[in-house]
Amino acid sequence: MAQYYPGTTNVAQNRRNFCNPDYDLKKMREVSDEDVVKILGHRAPGEEYPSVHPPIEEMDEPDDPIRDLVEPLDGAKAGDRVRYIQFTDSMYNAPAHPFVRARAYLCRFRGADAGTLSGRQIIETRERDLEKYAKELIETEFFDPAVTGIRGKTVHGHSLRLDEDGMMFDMLRRQVLDKDSGMVESVKNQIGEELDEPVVLGEPMSEADLKEKTTIYRKDGEAYRDDKDAVEVLHRIHVTRSQGGFSPE
Amino acid sequence: MDIEIFPHRLLGADTTERLLNDLEDIESIKRMVIHGARLPSANEEHPDRRTITVRDEEIDLQVKTGRILLEIDSEEAIEDVKEVCENILNFGFNVHIGTFIRYQKTVTDGIKYGDQLDQIPEEMVGLTDQNAQLNKRATILKKKD
Repeated sequence: MAQYYPGTTNVAQNRRNFCNPDYDLKKMREVSDEDVVKILGHRAPGEEYPSVHPPIEEMDEPDDPIRDLVEPLDGAKAGDRVRYIQFTDSMYNAPAHPFVRARAYLCRFRGADAGTLSGRQIIETRERDLEKYAKELIETEFFDPAVTGIRGKTVHGHSLRLDEDGMMFDMLRRQVLDKDSGMVESVKNQIGEELDEPVVLGEPMSEADLKEKTTIYRKDGEAYRDDKDAVEVLHRIHVTRSQGGFSPE
Repeated sequence: MDIEIFPHRLLGADTTERLLNDLEDIESIKRMVIHGARLPSANEEHPDRRTITVRDEEIDLQVKTGRILLEIDSEEAIEDVKEVCENILNFGFNVHIGTFIRYQKTVTDGIKYGDQLDQIPEEMVGLTDQNAQLNKRATILKKKD
């Protein structure tokens, strides 16, 4: 059995769940394919995927044994563009965070490139595959409308205190809490262009639920040092890496 | 002495307005500084970017309130400040004691204001952003007689 992450705490278990492709992610909300396309902002809904011309089958490509070994993604087969979606995760108990996303993406999504930064995480793949992955990432427990942001640019906010209503700070105000309905709406696409119709992303999780679902060790939640198992593995890795570096013979 | 109120959430315009008005009733507070990230320009229509009224004086709120710095006369005022904060900041806050507001004119001030440096009143020093025009970021509230 694959070993994804050590630790006995809830946080460790949540990390294992994200990384394990056999774990069925809980679906938290319903977002239509069209809405996902609108949030991504790479093409207009209903528009054809811009692909290479002439089509790949008509191209005279050099022989390559890898092509026989590896089945291409749908998007690669069609010659789609490589596009991206980027998430910002608040350090205030967001369900996912960049490093866990990187590990999870590489375990779960074939043919996707994950780029990890301190507060944000980008995933790049062929456009039609990206839409599929983006839908999964937005609809499942990877996402919370208040403390996770879909931000292609102006990503600042993950380490700031939350707003009074529990929303993560966003200078472009892409996700807005509708105080009457209690629902979060996406009023702009990921790069901050106004949408014609807001996309409803659902209700934010309560603080208690976020603490339950988070993959972030925090001193005021589950502290890393208290997770003896995880710390022991970390120490073992540290020691073996150091010894390996000295090349003991 | 100075104290800093550090709310556990970033404050909106309404809460900032209520908090400042309630703090204004505490006699021993001499100066207040609202500190935080800049809000976008007025034509972006950010809901927090509006004019707030503190003791009948209109203030154009240009920042998302993250900290409030207060200069107080005596240590007894801290308890009053905490009481006001407990009523309004129900998500939690910290009050720190220290030196947060600048009290002396600096070389930068000298370069910025030149010969007019002497005309800047002492109580205005430290109230504004170094890079800002003084008249744009400070509001003088008239104290009760």
